[in-house]
Amino acid sequence: MRRLPLIAIATLSALVATGCATMTVGAHVQHELNLSAYHTFDWGTPDALPASDPRFERNPFFTDRLLGAVEKGLVGRGFALSTSATPDLLVHYHATIARQPRVIREDPADGSCTRHDCVIEITRYEAATLVLDIVDARTNVLLWRGWAQGDADDILNNRGRMAKKIDESVARMLRRLPPKL
Amino acid sequence: MCSRLRLVAIVSVAVVCAACAPITVRSYVERGANISAYRTYNWQAVGARSTGDPRLDNNRFFHDRIQSAVDAQLTGKGYEKTTSPDVLVLYHAHVEPEGTLLIDLVDARSDRLLWRGWATGGFDAAVDDQSWMERRIDETVGRILKQLPPRL
Repeated sequence: MRRLPLIAIATLSALVATGCATMTVGAHVQHELNLSAYHTFDWGTPDALPASDPRFERNPFFTDRLLGAVEKGLVGRGFALSTSATPDLLVHYHATIARQPRVIREDPADGSCTRHDCVIEITRYEAATLVLDIVDARTNVLLWRGWAQGDADDILNNRGRMAKKIDESVARMLRRLPPKL
Repeated sequence: MCSRLRLVAIVSVAVVCAACAPITVRSYVERGANISAYRTYNWQAVGARSTGDPRLDNNRFFHDRIQSAVDAQLTGKGYEKTTSPDVLVLYHAHVEPEGTLLIDLVDARSDRLLWRGWATGGFDAAVDDQSWMERRIDETVGRILKQLPPRL
């Protein structure tokens, strides 16, 4: 059992070394959320916080691809894009870029670390975060929030990769949405 | 393939660090403030403030958990939540440096700060996992408010 963390750290170190781009996905959900009473959705107006980064906000390719991916994903989960002015759910998104620390650690399986916490260096990188909010349209209460984080450079500089990352992040986020019963 | 492997690795490392990430707690009592004489409290109405983390801004799951953890701790210490309180409570959470959570108790009449407690390292690494984040918030709030002098 004690070896398991070491294996995990070793795997991580190996993957950092290979340099493939990370994407982490997470979600928060209202406890015991039952979505079966919700059928339709539409896009809501953005909130004050967090503000979207202009590199995404003013990029029609990004917006089109994202809206398409989310609509397709929600339809696949049994919801319909609303044709009336009173949808059951409102969807918001925020796409931000912020400098975040990235911690690179030594592998303690190799013996002892130079430092007690095994940290080799902490670099800062431009992290892109895509946040998706699903809100009850009637009460305006947040029911679910999903997000994906990855390296901004990896997404911004190449349209093909941007499209792929958007599709992947939306699909992985929506997998964390509780199923309609 | 690459992304899936990496996700597993990151999750495993996160779990490893759950046990070791230290929470550091500090507090400060305003000189001359007789904190133990106050009996009732309520939340101070404040607008949304940036946490420095887009996952947590306007995130009611995060916000509600902090408030309910503080409510539970203060009730446990004998404070009563009322509409005309002696003390106003507010919190501020920011991811820099290392997930700082700060709790202020303010005299409702004079608007003077009575007590401030804060912790670093409490929640930032746990955000991606909701139940882990909730446990970390409960633990962090509990440890901060343990520093509050007892009521007489």
